[in-house]
Amino acid sequence: MSSLKVFPAGSDREAEKAQQAKRVGNAQTTERFDVPVIVDEHRCIKGCHICIDSCPVDCLSVNPATTKAHMQFDECWYCLACEVDCPTDAITVKIPFLVR
Amino acid sequence: MNQRETEVDVIVVGGGSAGSTAALRAQKDLPVGRVMLLEKAHVKRSGAIAIGMDGLNNAVIPGHATPEQYVKEITMANDGIVNQRAVLAYAERSYDMIQQLDRWGVKFQKTQTGDFDVKKVHHNGSYVLPMPEGYDLKKILTRLLRRSGVRVNNRVMATRLLTAPDGSIAGVVGLNVRDGAVEVIRARAVILCCGASGRLGLPASGYLYGTYENPANAGDGYSLAYHAGAELTGIECFQINPLIKDYNGPACAYVTGPLGGHTVNARGHRFIESDYWSGQMMLEFYRELQSENGPVYLKLNHLAPETITEIERVLHRTERPSRGRFHAGRGHKYGEDLVEMHISEIGLCSGHSGSGVWVDERGATTAPGLYAAGDMACVPHNYLLGAMTYGEICAESALHHLRSGSAWTEDAAARDGIATQIAAEQARLAAPLARPRGIPHHQYEYKVRRLVNDYLQPPKTANRMHIGLQHFLRAQEELDNEVGASSPHELMRFVEAGFIRDCAEMAARASLYRTESRWGLYHYRLDYPEIDDDNWFVHVNLRKDAAGNMEALKRPVAPYVVPLDQTERRSYYRIRIPTGDVAAPSLAAGAPIGPEATAS
Repeated sequence: MSSLKVFPAGSDREAEKAQQAKRVGNAQTTERFDVPVIVDEHRCIKGCHICIDSCPVDCLSVNPATTKAHMQFDECWYCLACEVDCPTDAITVKIPFLVR
Repeated sequence: MNQRETEVDVIVVGGGSAGSTAALRAQKDLPVGRVMLLEKAHVKRSGAIAIGMDGLNNAVIPGHATPEQYVKEITMANDGIVNQRAVLAYAERSYDMIQQLDRWGVKFQKTQTGDFDVKKVHHNGSYVLPMPEGYDLKKILTRLLRRSGVRVNNRVMATRLLTAPDGSIAGVVGLNVRDGAVEVIRARAVILCCGASGRLGLPASGYLYGTYENPANAGDGYSLAYHAGAELTGIECFQINPLIKDYNGPACAYVTGPLGGHTVNARGHRFIESDYWSGQMMLEFYRELQSENGPVYLKLNHLAPETITEIERVLHRTERPSRGRFHAGRGHKYGEDLVEMHISEIGLCSGHSGSGVWVDERGATTAPGLYAAGDMACVPHNYLLGAMTYGEICAESALHHLRSGSAWTEDAAARDGIATQIAAEQARLAAPLARPRGIPHHQYEYKVRRLVNDYLQPPKTANRMHIGLQHFLRAQEELDNEVGASSPHELMRFVEAGFIRDCAEMAARASLYRTESRWGLYHYRLDYPEIDDDNWFVHVNLRKDAAGNMEALKRPVAPYVVPLDQTERRSYYRIRIPTGDVAAPSLAAGAPIGPEATAS
């Protein structure tokens, strides 16, 4: 019953917690996101940055684990610039799930 | 943070259609390397038309329209609140720009005799020139930039402008969004071409980047100009567009209209005469959506199969080419199904509406040495061709500014002042990096934009907008103290979140200040439902006052150079087709418009 120690009888538990909520820092979690830009890693050329240059919102990058392009940030305008400009047709852009 | 410093004659901020054209024009008269183009993305695919455009919406071509007719049309579409000289300056140069684009290799639709194949979409005149292979436009501009000698600085986003003690522009502070370096570029002339404030309202889909505008256009230019002391105008005249529901891209009336497509209500009836985007048209669209006759659809299924093929050939290859994929995903076909439409979230944009940085017919803002073109500069309904035309106008004005000798001298006081501004901006950019576990930018942005929807989406009321304003002021504190960034990419989004918040505050303050309704849905106030020309036949401008607070003020509408008679003034209020289906709304049914006296 540790809460009894922190909040002795008669104290305003909610008021104290409300003050604590202003002082404590931040905590983070991670969630899975389905992203719309799909890269065929067999076709994607290592060292080619064409799609990464094309993206108007800079949401693509080289995945260090695979050395191939991937969608790093869920920030796609589904404009197809990456898909159209890819020299090996390695990219397929889906309409984002929230939109399609 | 690493800092790189350089100095040029002219900086163009933003490498879209306006900025690319401005840089090319400025470079013509300056030594190689003295013009720098900053682009937060990459010029080959940036700006509102990253992936091309399917037509020019406002071509003023001899034999089809005159500059005076065009000025009248735009004046009517904007309820009279325009600087006609600025609109006329565009209209008079529009055809020269078309011919230049033609020479550059942009393919326009032409008739069998080789004339430009102009279509009628506007309420009165004919100004739409199809560009079915318009996906080439950005490639052509990029090729020209490469050959020109312009210093193109891709992936650098301007975060603040630098000013001299007299308020003149002295340069730009930018952030390299890949390596995180701060770039300080000195120049005595800066041309802002940063596009619309397109990430202001939250799309109904809830997807932050599912906007009508290219989401890279986050209102950067509105905020940059404001903090540099320039005035903005017409911010209360929001951008709201009729779009394919959920997809949030244009349907697109300018492509489909001339081929026989049109909007209908759920009864299959047409309810507006003209699909040209104006506030008055949007109000009719909104009322139909809200009525028992809603929703609204784009109707193409009465057209011949070859016409459908023609429409798909254009719509699925340029501007927003993923439209076809969206429809296919839902199993919809233009030839068989109606396309459900909706109105967009709000934004700020002069390309489609009339909200932007205040400029005159030279593209000059109220800050000496600062010019603005394209969607962010208030020359109403300027669209793509206006962006490029004003890009050139701004470049010529900037060159003139340099030649005539910019007034301020770089003495010790000026150097100190600029150094202080650079240090302050360094500190502002470093702060979120010191909080890598602070509030993530996307959660912050979602909340601000959700509050924009809750409190600013028309119809507007003072009660709601006052609450919204308090939220946006609190959001500044959250941005300053809580939002964090753990990479240059996140820092870019942090800075954009600040632009978005600034635009939200501007939208609230300007809308609260104008206590009347005007521009149809764009500024439809339930608490002041009528047009009030006696008190509000004026521009509403915003600026930063001496104490650093945002203030609103009235500016008179300059005397017209192309007068309108009373019948013409009212023509945009007769857009609804009277069918008896819906009671005619009061605002659309012949409210008094514009005193003759203002044209004196």
